[in-house]
Amino acid sequence: MEINWITVSAQVVNFLILVWLLKHFLYQPVIRAMDRRDQKIRNRMDEADSREQEALREKQSYQQKLASFEKEREELLEETRQEARQTRSQMIDQAREETARVRSHWMREVSEEKTAFIDGLRHQSLEVVETVIRKALQDLADERLEERIAHTFIRKLHELDEETREALGRSSEPATIATSFELDPGQRSTLTRAIHELVGADLAVNYTQVPELICGVELTCESQRISWNLSDYLEELTASVEKAFEPLETTEPGA
Amino acid sequence: MTITPDSIVYWQWGDFALNATIVFTWLVMALLTLGSWLVTRGLSEDPKLSRWQNLLEVLVVGIRNQIAQVSHQQPGPYLPFVGTLFLFIAMANLLNVIPGYMAPTGSLSTTTALAICVFVAVPVFGIASKGAGEYLQHYIKPTPLMLPFNVIGEVSRTVALAVRLYGNIMSGTVIVAILLSLTPYFFPVVMQLLGLLTGMIQAYIFAILAMVYIASATSAHEHGESDEHQHNTPSEP
Repeated sequence: MEINWITVSAQVVNFLILVWLLKHFLYQPVIRAMDRRDQKIRNRMDEADSREQEALREKQSYQQKLASFEKEREELLEETRQEARQTRSQMIDQAREETARVRSHWMREVSEEKTAFIDGLRHQSLEVVETVIRKALQDLADERLEERIAHTFIRKLHELDEETREALGRSSEPATIATSFELDPGQRSTLTRAIHELVGADLAVNYTQVPELICGVELTCESQRISWNLSDYLEELTASVEKAFEPLETTEPGA
Repeated sequence: MTITPDSIVYWQWGDFALNATIVFTWLVMALLTLGSWLVTRGLSEDPKLSRWQNLLEVLVVGIRNQIAQVSHQQPGPYLPFVGTLFLFIAMANLLNVIPGYMAPTGSLSTTTALAICVFVAVPVFGIASKGAGEYLQHYIKPTPLMLPFNVIGEVSRTVALAVRLYGNIMSGTVIVAILLSLTPYFFPVVMQLLGLLTGMIQAYIFAILAMVYIASATSAHEHGESDEHQHNTPSEP
């Protein structure tokens, strides 16, 4: 255990030199490098932060744009849908109208055809009835029947209202009595007398024969016309026949 | 048996003897300086760095953190002095595993030189940070009566510093030498490993104590005093 003071002083110098050397070759460079690296890393972090912020901003703006695009698209789509709906309903309406038109046209045709058919039928049936009745009455016609007809006519004259009687009385033209059969003079005078009793003796009376009247008598004077004949009954028959056909006409279009 | 490398003299010129202590000190210095230079000439400032640079950075950062912990001050001004104490002692002790090498720290001359450096550095740092007046005042605190004790304390702790390091390293070498003659082959290897551990611990203790002394001189007196006690007591071997 000895101390060599020369060695001690040498070692002190050595140590101080080492301190200087290490300071220059170790501590300063290493610390400087670490500081610079720290700074670099911090800069990068800052940069990354700012980039992130920017990216976020851009993302937000893109999202907004996307949302607006989406909205626009939705609006367009809705508009198109609306238009499509309108067009569809228009087309449906048109089709309906067209159908209705065609249908009504067809109905009309059907109804016309039916009417024609019914008319024909009526006409034919009436003709048949008329022919049958005419034939039957012609076969039955004799003086007694003709007398009955004249009587019936006279009764009808008696049933005339006051107004008609006055109109007949004022008439300046002669009255014409048409019959389907030949009146004998006695019957004619009976009739003339009956007329004169009713409307006054001034009215002249002519007689004609019209076979179409079918067992009938008709008095015509100016606008007045008084008659009793089978034609009227036949017309009533026609009317009732037509009435019988009516339900067919009304129900069929709906069917 | 050689106890101290001082006694191995390679070259003599008058009073000056170029002994093993100085030669091996130069060797350690050269290794440290060359190693540092080789690594730091190509320092990378990118996050990607070489393994050697990483090692140096870990060392420097570790020393800085230790200084900051002990002194509660910025480690900047103390780093070269305290860091070099640690690196020099650690390297000198570490090379002990090489046959034929004799640790310069096993010489009382080297440890005395280092202790003297600490002895001088404490007032230098103290005056630099607080000014001469305020620094010198702490010798007469709490009363002027304490002046001789403070001075004695200053000197004795320096002596303790030197002897502690010298004793530990020298004893390690001596124990290995004795064991080699008693039980050769394996047991000395274990003791050599133990010696490595002791060497590293001693390097740490020396540097930390030096820092504690400097911190007590530079910081507020009460604060520094409590710090000294705190760190002194457990590390005293």
